[in-house]
Amino acid sequence: MKSLRYSLVLVLVAVLALPVAVTQGQGTIELQLTWWGSQTRHDKTIEVIELFEAEHPDIDIIYEFSNFTDYWTLLSTKAASDSLPDVMQHDYAYLAEWALRGQLMPLDDFIADGTIDVSNIAQSIIDSGKIDGQTYGLSLGSNSQAFILDVDAFAAAGLDLPSPDWTWQEFEETVLKLHEELGIWGFGTLLDDEALWKSLQIGHDRWAFSEDGTSLGYEDDQAMIDHLSMILRLQDAGAIPTIEEEIEYDTTGPEGSPLVLGKSAIQYQWSNQVLAVANAAGPDRNFKLWHLPRPEGGQPSNYVKPSMFFSIPASAEHPQEAAMFIDFFTNSMEANEILAAERGVPVSAPVREHLLPDLDPVMAETFDFLVRVEADSSPVPPPDPPGYADLRLNVYGPQFVDVVRFEEMTPEEAVQFFREEANRILAQNR
Amino acid sequence: MGGRVASLENESPLTRIRARWFARKKQYSISRNNFVGYLFISPWLIGFFLFSLIPIAASLVLAFTDYDLLASDIQFIGLENFSRMFNEDLRYWKSVNATLRYVFFAVPLRLTFALTVAMLLNTKRRGVYLYRAAYYTPSIVGGSVAVAIMWRQIFGTDGLVNAALGLDVRWFGDPRFALWTLITLAVWQFGSPMLIFLAGLRQIPAELYEASSIDGANALQRFRRITLPMLTPIIFFNLVMQTIQNFQQFTQAFIITGGNGRPLDRTLLYPLYLYRRAFVNYEMGYASAMSWVLLLTIALLTALLFTSSRQ
Repeated sequence: MKSLRYSLVLVLVAVLALPVAVTQGQGTIELQLTWWGSQTRHDKTIEVIELFEAEHPDIDIIYEFSNFTDYWTLLSTKAASDSLPDVMQHDYAYLAEWALRGQLMPLDDFIADGTIDVSNIAQSIIDSGKIDGQTYGLSLGSNSQAFILDVDAFAAAGLDLPSPDWTWQEFEETVLKLHEELGIWGFGTLLDDEALWKSLQIGHDRWAFSEDGTSLGYEDDQAMIDHLSMILRLQDAGAIPTIEEEIEYDTTGPEGSPLVLGKSAIQYQWSNQVLAVANAAGPDRNFKLWHLPRPEGGQPSNYVKPSMFFSIPASAEHPQEAAMFIDFFTNSMEANEILAAERGVPVSAPVREHLLPDLDPVMAETFDFLVRVEADSSPVPPPDPPGYADLRLNVYGPQFVDVVRFEEMTPEEAVQFFREEANRILAQNR
Repeated sequence: MGGRVASLENESPLTRIRARWFARKKQYSISRNNFVGYLFISPWLIGFFLFSLIPIAASLVLAFTDYDLLASDIQFIGLENFSRMFNEDLRYWKSVNATLRYVFFAVPLRLTFALTVAMLLNTKRRGVYLYRAAYYTPSIVGGSVAVAIMWRQIFGTDGLVNAALGLDVRWFGDPRFALWTLITLAVWQFGSPMLIFLAGLRQIPAELYEASSIDGANALQRFRRITLPMLTPIIFFNLVMQTIQNFQQFTQAFIITGGNGRPLDRTLLYPLYLYRRAFVNYEMGYASAMSWVLLLTIALLTALLFTSSRQ
């Protein structure tokens, strides 16, 4: 019995030691990486990771991904437990907050010594990742807001496509006409989105916030009152979903949006989400990306936005290898063939030229759209001030636009309320 | 034990020594039993300290700070979280409102269903076991993501309820009805209070019922005069447990209605709002303050229930 126990212990130890012996290569560096996205993005990113690992056998990448909403919970939990990765995907909205709290490592040294090669990237794009003069993130793709037009629906309704510099007035007429002719919604969900509120201010050649971020940056609320009134008119006419109907689309994601289901002819989407929408809609649909409408006699509502960044947390264990990965991701032709501009139009000009001939129609349309936007756009606005998350999540949606759409407050009353709350919350930045 | 030894004064020395030895051995084995007992529950004890007690204490401290999960510099801000909560935060009161409405409807309805079904199942007929299991199953599976997704399908615009009743109601979008989708889910899971009621019903002596029906009491009178009074302690127990539990309802609200309280914050249950403040707004200090207010409120309510039951 004793010898049996002894030999069992030996076997157990051997079995437990075996995987350790096999995987513990000498000098393997483990790089941790996190990102958010759709399944399409996850699959592509993993392929690129494997490509990088093949070229760098001494680097092993451990990755974690999720959807956008869960991502920030995940990363803030990691931050709290001091287990942030080496490379993390970051967003323009959160970059300033994280950078100013010292959670991110400046990339300027890596750029200066060439570990991250930015020679083919436009200076304005590099600057979009700078906070207080230091670079905290490298843009992974250019992006702009788009209205996706269902070309076949327009044709069926007997309408020409609008001109790229169409006004909100023309937009309203178009949507009503589409609804009359086709019986579906002319426009889908998110017409009251906070990003459109900001675009409205850009169209009026001003910014939503003051320069020091302690209050709203404009005094005249008439533009927003008009926008909300338009939404109410379209809602009443049945040309856009009622707010009750729109809430049901909260949980479906871009793949379940009205345009995909054939229930609307226009949909609002950031240009890099168009691929997911088009894939979900199927190959027999015909979409074109269009400029946002602008105010009468106003500036373009569009701007070229960095879609997302790669940043290196200040606590990263292998910053050098992290920088090498970022450089590979941005500049490698092979990697970008796999990524297929899913995160936005590539920032490196040679990569863009390399990809252009082989693109599928939807991506080609996206590239073309960004080129059109670059030619006719406003400059990138500053990032959102601290405290905007509170305003956006707790006031803008539930207490402002939702309340107006449920007709519990008039637009005039509501913009007054929003102004007071916004100034109260932003004043805390003083 | 001292008494035993004293009564041996008149015994022989050998007997006294042996008695003392046995007494000490018993004392030793009692404390050794205690130690072994603690050893056996030590996994749970460690877990309780690490994952319950210490975090709870930590959250009490955090409630007075501006901790934002990114932990760059935490500062004590005294009662500022609480004053903001009660004076400035409009959504706070909406979440209180939503939670009170939820508990006010869900708990009595759930208990009513539980008691009714328990009385129906209180028979010795064959096959009653199957029904018991069937009615209990929702309680087990109800807290899961799968059920939440199923519920979204059932109450969706093109879902089961609208199809079966021939309606076109927006159950999730209409502010009048959205909370009821959650209340219905809570009521559907009446299984565990039902089992407790069943156990209580089984303890009521059958002779009471027989005697009362001989005296000519009908079913309603039997219920009011016998069943209810005999079940009072059980009803009270279920009431307290269900109230405590339903004030903390989070998962269903998070998944079914998109976790954002829409429409118009009618489904913004308190724990959901707390979660959003902590993990979406990065205001963990504020959320800790909220959670302690919840704890004190539930404790107060439970104390009220206890004192009102002193009749």
